[in-house]
Amino acid sequence: MALLEVSGLTKAFGGLTAVDRLSFSVDQGQVVSMIGPNGAGKSTVFNLLTGAYRPSAGRIVYDGNDITGCKPHRSARLGMGRTFQSTTVFRTETVVENVIIGQSLHLKTGVWGAIARTNKARREEEKVREKARSILDFVGLTNVATRLAGSLTEEAQKRLSIATVLAADPKLLLLDEPTGGVNLEEIGGLIELIKKIRQSGVTVCLIEHKMRMVMSMSDRIVVLNYGTNIAEGTPAEVANNKQVIEAYLGARRVA
Amino acid sequence: MKGITSPQAAGWLLALIVAVLLPLFTGGYLTSILLLIAAWSIVAVSLNLLYGYTGQLSLGHSAFLGIGAYALALIAVKVHVGFWPAFFAAIAISGLFGFLIGIPALKLRGPYFVLVTLGFAAIVGVIALAWTGLTGGANGLAGAPRPTPIPLPWGGRLKFDSLLNMYYFTLFFLIVILFICHRLVHSLIGRTFIAISHDENLAESLGINTMWKKLLSFTISAVFAGVAGALYASYNSVISPDIAYFTRGMDVLACLIVGGAGTMAGPIIGTFVMTAIPEALQIVPSLRTLINGFILMLFIIFLPAGIAGGFKAFSSRWGLKSEERRHGAP
Repeated sequence: MALLEVSGLTKAFGGLTAVDRLSFSVDQGQVVSMIGPNGAGKSTVFNLLTGAYRPSAGRIVYDGNDITGCKPHRSARLGMGRTFQSTTVFRTETVVENVIIGQSLHLKTGVWGAIARTNKARREEEKVREKARSILDFVGLTNVATRLAGSLTEEAQKRLSIATVLAADPKLLLLDEPTGGVNLEEIGGLIELIKKIRQSGVTVCLIEHKMRMVMSMSDRIVVLNYGTNIAEGTPAEVANNKQVIEAYLGARRVA
Repeated sequence: MKGITSPQAAGWLLALIVAVLLPLFTGGYLTSILLLIAAWSIVAVSLNLLYGYTGQLSLGHSAFLGIGAYALALIAVKVHVGFWPAFFAAIAISGLFGFLIGIPALKLRGPYFVLVTLGFAAIVGVIALAWTGLTGGANGLAGAPRPTPIPLPWGGRLKFDSLLNMYYFTLFFLIVILFICHRLVHSLIGRTFIAISHDENLAESLGINTMWKKLLSFTISAVFAGVAGALYASYNSVISPDIAYFTRGMDVLACLIVGGAGTMAGPIIGTFVMTAIPEALQIVPSLRTLINGFILMLFIIFLPAGIAGGFKAFSSRWGLKSEERRHGAP
């Protein structure tokens, strides 16, 4: 069953068409990778999916809902979580606070509850704190829970940004270069984490440049070039696709 | 109050004792200065919620101060209701204006939002000055009432005819509003405000309805500024358009920056310093803006976190627990 179905998605910035009649789908429970040369429009696709940009044309159906042009907080509420290419965490807050903020969309306490500190509000805070602890345990950041997020290593910040999104209980997780800017020795741990997330039942869609990683962990691969998908299929199919080899992999093999 | 560690609690308690006892030993003039410090502190606290904790800079808080003040006087004078209905109506009107202006203004981000708040303040200032039929124009508006006495449970009545009682009345609201801000900022809702102040895009991607949360913060802030306006009007009885003049909004911001935006004590320390220094030096009013501008410049260059913010950084470097480690330990 397709959790996400994109058809004819187009985004033009003035005269530049960044995404051009793109169609693809992501099935429930899969890991789908989006690859392509720099400037192929991968991050723009993520921004269109979550609603950070409004599409010029096309349709995005997520979990049976037409979410084309929805605001980011709406798509997040429907269960679509995302991380950003440039690692984004609340740097001056502690690690555990970041994960607490990540749970905001489930927040039930209102203004009165907050001011009066009702029993309900206290219980909710207790629950939120409890959940933050278990998520930090899941991503392996328990030992740095009270540190400021900005003081962590790049790899730990990547983990934290994933933990913060996970706190919102997404069904589909969009990861924009989850290993970008991370030391080669540390990438293995992040790959393990993504596999663990997938095992927990979350569908993952990721943008990556590291071919070996993409080939080993993806169920399907979407290849983008000039804003349109030139190929889609299993890693084996994509690796043997002539167009892909010409546009992307071929150049690498020569080099 | 939870979330405040003992050195802070001691500091607050000391400040409270001084604030309550000081006017008993000083003359009326100093009490009136303290009353103004309390009233302007309320505005600074309200701006702090919006700017310090939600990251939305308003240069137009003088508008809500003016709306609160004029609404109290107009309702009391023209509708002939008692103080309390007029008071609550005035702060509701101020909050309503905040809500209505916030809807279009908060769709804008950064400097565009700042400009809209400034423009709104300019409009309110002009209305206060030019709509003579309603506001009395430059002559001002007289007849804002003092609070009607409250019957005490043990007999007698709490009267507000003396300066001292008006001071305690204003101080009471400052404490209540500070307490509300403290609870809000340290709640889960407050964390969404703080998240927005750090990174609005990240907050929105996490499912926080940033527009609604900003509007909530803006409206609460407008209500608080309206309270300060109504209290001032009630104390002074006559109000003139300069209460709504936009430079007052700048003064409030200056107090907030000097004291430390995004800290609980900052707005009060800042208002105290910015009022007390010119007062202590007996500076003529026309030179005050100059001196305040100079102080503000020094702070922006040398201590941008303000007095309370600088103290926080200093104390955390020396291993003292700081208030802003919001429930840091898991």
